[in-house]
Amino acid sequence: MMFRALSADWLKIRGKGIWFLAALGPIGLAGMQGLNFGLRYDYLMKSYAADPWGGLLENVLFFVPIALFLGTTLVCSLMANVEHQLSSWKQLLALPISRTAVFSAKFVQAFLILCVSCLLLSVSTAVLGIMLGMGVEQMPYMDLLRIGFVQLFAALPMLAFQLWLSLTLKNQGIAVGIGVTASVVSMFALQFPDWMPLKWPLMAYMGPDQAKVIGAGLLLGALIICAGMIHFNRKDVD
Amino acid sequence: MTELVIQTKGLYKTYKKRAAVQDLNLEIARGDIYGFLGPNGAGKTTTIRMLLGLIQPTRGAIHLFGKDLKSEKMNILRRTGSLVEYPSYYGHLTAVENLEAIRRITGGPKSRIAEVLEIVSLTKEAKRPVKGYSLGMKQRLGIAAALLNNPELLILDEPTNGLDPSGIHEIRELIKNMPRQYGITVLVSSHLLGEVEQMADKVGIIREGRMVFQDTIDNLVSTASSGFRLSVSEPEAALGLALDLGCAGVLRDHMLELESMQDAKIALLVKRLVENQHAVYRVEEQRRSLEDIFMQIVGEGSRV
Ligand SMILES: Nc1ncnc2c1ncn2[C@@H]1O[C@H](COP(=O)(O)OP(=O)(O)O)[C@@H](O)[C@H]1O
Ligand SMILES: [Mg+2]
Repeated sequence: MMFRALSADWLKIRGKGIWFLAALGPIGLAGMQGLNFGLRYDYLMKSYAADPWGGLLENVLFFVPIALFLGTTLVCSLMANVEHQLSSWKQLLALPISRTAVFSAKFVQAFLILCVSCLLLSVSTAVLGIMLGMGVEQMPYMDLLRIGFVQLFAALPMLAFQLWLSLTLKNQGIAVGIGVTASVVSMFALQFPDWMPLKWPLMAYMGPDQAKVIGAGLLLGALIICAGMIHFNRKDVD
Repeated sequence: MTELVIQTKGLYKTYKKRAAVQDLNLEIARGDIYGFLGPNGAGKTTTIRMLLGLIQPTRGAIHLFGKDLKSEKMNILRRTGSLVEYPSYYGHLTAVENLEAIRRITGGPKSRIAEVLEIVSLTKEAKRPVKGYSLGMKQRLGIAAALLNNPELLILDEPTNGLDPSGIHEIRELIKNMPRQYGITVLVSSHLLGEVEQMADKVGIIREGRMVFQDTIDNLVSTASSGFRLSVSEPEAALGLALDLGCAGVLRDHMLELESMQDAKIALLVKRLVENQHAVYRVEEQRRSLEDIFMQIVGEGSRV
């Protein structure tokens, strides 16, 4: 049943700018570093002479959490708005499909869209590195993949929470406001205590205890999804 | 006994201690068109949302197709098509895409999309984004969506709201054909009796959340007669004759005003008048309009 709802959901987000946003984020991040490295090429390449790829990833890394949190917020809100805009919930939920399936499909859709963003981040960072003359032989494939995906797993609690907010509150201002605030606050994440989920993406990439942090992300994400689903199942639909 | 497609028992929905629907007992038989009437805010939409499982009743039981809605919701919804309040649609998608989004969930063949578009006469406009549609077209698309999964029961909440007379007429014709052509049972709500009286077999009138009248439209009509007026050549003598026959009435403006009576009796009265050399110019039945009766019911909440 979830796959039926998901299949319908892909159709519904056509032309809503969600794919554009999903591509803009990672390509924008890589573009920013292209500018950074382009303007200060000699200086940066000299200071990262020992490990130019590592230097590039370090520069990208800092912006990934905020991009991820912002992206999560906007993707969830845009997806939910497709249903809120013309009160389509009453039509959708009067169809022979369980609310659990509807909610799960939205989660899977948001997750897959963000996966595409993460993959694009890996690809565009790799392309940038090559364009900057960094050796293809030295390319750190694992780190290039990890920089997006590992942080995405650690950001699952945020995704679950934003999805729940966006789907249940018709007024997207609240969900977006909370999400943007969290994104901005996350820029200071390194100074937070370890239990703060906003810090988890960076911790999941840099360590220590990467596996533990990812595990925590999955667990807390799952808990929030369950809570959201129970609420969504019982909620009156206007 | 006819099979009931919708049956509610003692249905309540309370919002912050205010009852939107109270002690509602709906009974809708298979193949009927049931007009669900009541002024704005009476609780029609609230009732319909409960029938579709969109909101939880505060109290009471709902059975559709003889099955409990709580335990067999998916089975029931598979056999039901609905349009709740103003139509829902995805404005950036075309009519075909909107219906496809539903078909992907309900299953069924793709060819059904063209069929339902044909039924609601939207075939020509099917490839345009729905946000450019007129209200009537959106409403018809909503009905097409409700018909997509070949429902046995169609629940339409104020499908003619906001339409011009020709739009209302079109939708009325569409609904009228449902039981005849497709064997579908229809629940259609409205705040105007005039909109459903020409198509409904049975009406339920709800006021402030309570059912105040539930019967066939014929029985509603039969309460409409309020008497006769006769124009005759010699009114005074004629009145005497009428009173002798046991009619009750008075003389007003040289006309006899008589209380409502059976067909046989009025026939007898006319016969006697003619036998007694009265010239009978006119016999008028005075009817309250259905709308008057409706207004009286929803105004006072009394039974007619
Ligand atoms: N979600 C809600 N919260 C509070 N009151 C509501 C809600 N939905 C409906 N009502 C109230 O319930 C009553 C019935 O509304 P409704 O069923 O929409 O009437 P109708 O469809 O007959 O016009 C109204 O007084 C309305 O204000
Ligand atoms: Mg209503």
